[in-house]
Amino acid sequence: MTSAHPGLPEFDYVKPAGLKEASQFLAQHAPEARPFSGGTDTFVRMRDGFFNPKYLVDVKGLEGTRVLKIDEKEGLTIGAAIPMNRVVAFAEASRYPLLVEAAKSVASYQLRSRATIIGNICNASPAGDTIGACLAYQGVLNIHGVDGPKTLPLNGFFTGPGKNLLKPGDIVLSITLPVPPKGHAGRYIKLGRNRLSDLSIVGISAMGVKDSSTKSGYKFHLAIASVAPVPFIPAKAEEILANNALNTETIILAAQAAMDAVTPIDDVRGSAQYRKFMVRNLVNRAVTEIMQKLSA
Amino acid sequence: MANTDTKPGTMNPVGKSVQRLDVMEKVTGAAHYTDDIPFGNALLYGRVKRSTVAHGLIKRIDVSKAKALPGVKVVVTGEDFPNLIGLYLKDKTVFARDRVRFVGEAIAAVAATSEEIAEKAIDLIEVDIEPLPAVFDAEFGASKDAPLIHPDLANYECPNFIFPVPGTNISNHFKIRKGNTEEAFKKCAVIMEKKFRVPHVQHVPIEPHIAVAQVEPDGDVTVWAASQSPFSQRSSFAKALGVSESKIRVIAGYVGGGFGCKAGVTMENVAVALASKSGGRPVKVRLTREEEFFTNFVRQGLIINLKIGCDAQGNVLAMENNQWWDGGASTEYGVNITRAGGYNSSGPFDIPNITTNAMCVYTNHPIGGAYRGFGMSELHAGIIQVMDMLAEKIGMDKVEFLKRNAIQGGDFNVTGMKMHPVGLQECIDKVAKELNFSVKEKASSPTKRRGKGIGIVWKAPSMPPNAGSSAEVRLNEDGSVTVSVGGQEIGQGTFTVMAQIAAEALGVAYEMVKIEGPVDTRYSPYEWQTVASRLTWSMGNAVRRAAEDARKNILEMVAEAWGENPANLDIKNGYVVSMKSEESISLKNIVVYGIPRPGDQGWIGGPVLGRGTFMPSYVTNLDKDTGQGARAVVHYTTGCQGIDIEIDTETGKIEIIKAVSVFDVGKAINPDLVKAQIEGGFIQGMSSAIFEEMKLVNGVMKNPSFVDYRIATTADLPRENIAMFVETAQDDGPWGARGIGEHPMTPTIGVLANAIYDAVGVRVSNPPLSAEKIYLAMLEAGVVS
Repeated sequence: MTSAHPGLPEFDYVKPAGLKEASQFLAQHAPEARPFSGGTDTFVRMRDGFFNPKYLVDVKGLEGTRVLKIDEKEGLTIGAAIPMNRVVAFAEASRYPLLVEAAKSVASYQLRSRATIIGNICNASPAGDTIGACLAYQGVLNIHGVDGPKTLPLNGFFTGPGKNLLKPGDIVLSITLPVPPKGHAGRYIKLGRNRLSDLSIVGISAMGVKDSSTKSGYKFHLAIASVAPVPFIPAKAEEILANNALNTETIILAAQAAMDAVTPIDDVRGSAQYRKFMVRNLVNRAVTEIMQKLSA
Repeated sequence: MANTDTKPGTMNPVGKSVQRLDVMEKVTGAAHYTDDIPFGNALLYGRVKRSTVAHGLIKRIDVSKAKALPGVKVVVTGEDFPNLIGLYLKDKTVFARDRVRFVGEAIAAVAATSEEIAEKAIDLIEVDIEPLPAVFDAEFGASKDAPLIHPDLANYECPNFIFPVPGTNISNHFKIRKGNTEEAFKKCAVIMEKKFRVPHVQHVPIEPHIAVAQVEPDGDVTVWAASQSPFSQRSSFAKALGVSESKIRVIAGYVGGGFGCKAGVTMENVAVALASKSGGRPVKVRLTREEEFFTNFVRQGLIINLKIGCDAQGNVLAMENNQWWDGGASTEYGVNITRAGGYNSSGPFDIPNITTNAMCVYTNHPIGGAYRGFGMSELHAGIIQVMDMLAEKIGMDKVEFLKRNAIQGGDFNVTGMKMHPVGLQECIDKVAKELNFSVKEKASSPTKRRGKGIGIVWKAPSMPPNAGSSAEVRLNEDGSVTVSVGGQEIGQGTFTVMAQIAAEALGVAYEMVKIEGPVDTRYSPYEWQTVASRLTWSMGNAVRRAAEDARKNILEMVAEAWGENPANLDIKNGYVVSMKSEESISLKNIVVYGIPRPGDQGWIGGPVLGRGTFMPSYVTNLDKDTGQGARAVVHYTTGCQGIDIEIDTETGKIEIIKAVSVFDVGKAINPDLVKAQIEGGFIQGMSSAIFEEMKLVNGVMKNPSFVDYRIATTADLPRENIAMFVETAQDDGPWGARGIGEHPMTPTIGVLANAIYDAVGVRVSNPPLSAEKIYLAMLEAGVVS
């Protein structure tokens, strides 16, 4: 990087009055218009020159973005304008321990007062710390587009680094995480270079629950950050954990399957080789710790 | 003695942990820094056009579009400032002229009515550069095959202790030839040889560089800067502009962290250059964090090859030490860091036979500057590890090996200088005891390995032989004391220590002393620079002498008034007392108005002003071919560090359980501040050892932000960080004190590497000692699979 701008480039700030207007504006001005909520990524990337939007559309005031509620049937809904610190502080969010643990690992406390989970998802960074938890909890996105409201399951939402299924005019209003299985346990292991406020070299989201429908009597959801173009679900590892008696050997096999399936790259944070070994070792650690929790 | 009208204060504060003078204003945010100074609407903002090419010839610069942009007031290029500048070797210009030599080098600059307009104007400057083959490795750069970066090296002005090799990229070749290394190696029972690479790191002060410059109506130039060296900067600005020093005034307030990078001159020259053509309008230049990373002085990289041998009893007999310092595109402090790498090349060991080649090499990397430790972290990174390898190889207890070979008072060291008394043996003993070094302790879990490392260091202030200090002590009507100095408070606590010294020497309470700030070269007494861990010792001597001068004036005045001998008088707690007549008189008023003679027959005394200076007079030059001389440096501070760690074998992560650092500070003027320096130094050393590296690829820094240039946070601190000191008095230090500012970070790379080896049996020797590097090394060695 040889250009270091002292400030942000020029842009127009747009605060739409309603959803319809917002979607229309975004659709009409694609790709020059960009929605944002906390701005913790948007402003940094604009200063760096990666984003250069003519219009920044503030979605925080829009209907449905400020929701943070639990529903016994529908589960937990988190609006696009809800900063991570509020999610962590929301007592009912403790029913989703994996999400809380992951949210606490993002950046620093100060940043989490602005950063949002929806922002983390829409950025579609393979390193997003909270995405794995939302995938494990089978999250569904509530979206407003030019044709009105719609939903999209998070699984399959990511199409590449920074890319997702959203169309021009789509605004993600919130995410709903269905009622999680009773008695589940979760673990997010973030491997950073140092202990605080780093991006993940790898991030392991793991959720496990007793399940009589599988051979092993357990069902696991795994998602791995920073090892593939999109947040990665190691399906084969999940299958191994479902289909074999759950002992040390099975966990080793599953961890190895996860290691074999990931396709990380070398970057400034870590080499592909190191990442692959860390996937193996930390999937093993996460699953082992969950098993300890489930059998406690 | 009646002193009921005096506030209770701390008498005889030397040796006491008094509260810092600057603590309230800094903690509450009231302290003013350079960017806080208001300049009104006339202020212009400067931005810099920088090279995107590591090495190339400038074919064309077109600034016409930038000049035409509304709001742009000044555009300058290399044509405007042809003078060669440089702290030692004069090898650079303010802006690149015919050639660029690193990515980020200044080519042109703009001053405009806003930072945004200036930035736009920068984008409008057109530059054509024809790329040249570049040098990105110092060892290659020193070879005959390397393209020349400074073809004019032979013509550069240079002081007599720097030895460039014209026709090469070697800007300084410092040699040690002591004893007969070749013969001595033949007598060694064991010889260990290893090559180390220490990467470039950055200082990362919380306050990026900033300077504001303005030409006064009389043509004089005033510069406000975050600066560790206002007087050296004054000199450098004067040379850049081709005017005399008295035409320049530098005002330097508090500094938001320096660590060496705000010594010398980097971007400040740009503000001065722009202001010289702005028609009297002040011009502010401040760096972005990215610019702070890749355009500033760096801690230059080092490649070092060490070969050390000892006899069967563990006596180190010989060392061969070859160093290639990555001085970067031109040199500032780099050539002198190389010199320090040479005259310290034995480490704190008594080695009779040494051959050293310390070379500073031009490369197409950012320019090497001063960084806390001035080469000693890099040098000791290797020495500490090879000594550990030697001790292990001959099967000797590591502590015993260090004690057997550690330098002692009376030894003739690497440059032939007779060592002053040092308490290094005591430092080693204290570390070994506190860390239970001889006991192999159990890891906390089966997936973890525990290990301990130990190492010793030394460092002398690296500076010209005649670096001087001066101070003034004035007394006020209320008996309080104002001390003027030219050294800078950069967070290290020097103002507090100077107040302690002045109070002690004068005989008043610590609380009665204020240090005048900001340092202003028009009014403040001269100080060479706030670097080299030299202020407590050098400026401390000047302040002590100034306070003693003031004291002498006071005692003579009172002695005359009382008809006594000054030798019978003393100043205690703000009162002059006579040990003979038991009379006493408050300093109040008399130190300004004097004392009336009896019967209104005139007055005695008057405003009290004490002056003191200090400059070492005994440092000799070293022989160009052997590096030998009577006294290379003023003194050495020595110390020992030990670290107890665990390594997570599943990730390679290090957890530091306990760190113990013990240094011989001569005399702790303020014990808490000394301990804080030692603790903080360890943390900075740990951060650079584990996390920090400028990732330079073809001259481009790939991680110029805190996202990917990681520094330690409070969450990364050791569970225990123990700081201790011993006090072997320095003969010419105030109350025996010598410097401690830089030293505590210098052992950490080597000591940590030794601990890693002790824990997992694998030598991970090149920093950063990252989890990844440790894990992959364990994998390769079969420690994990």
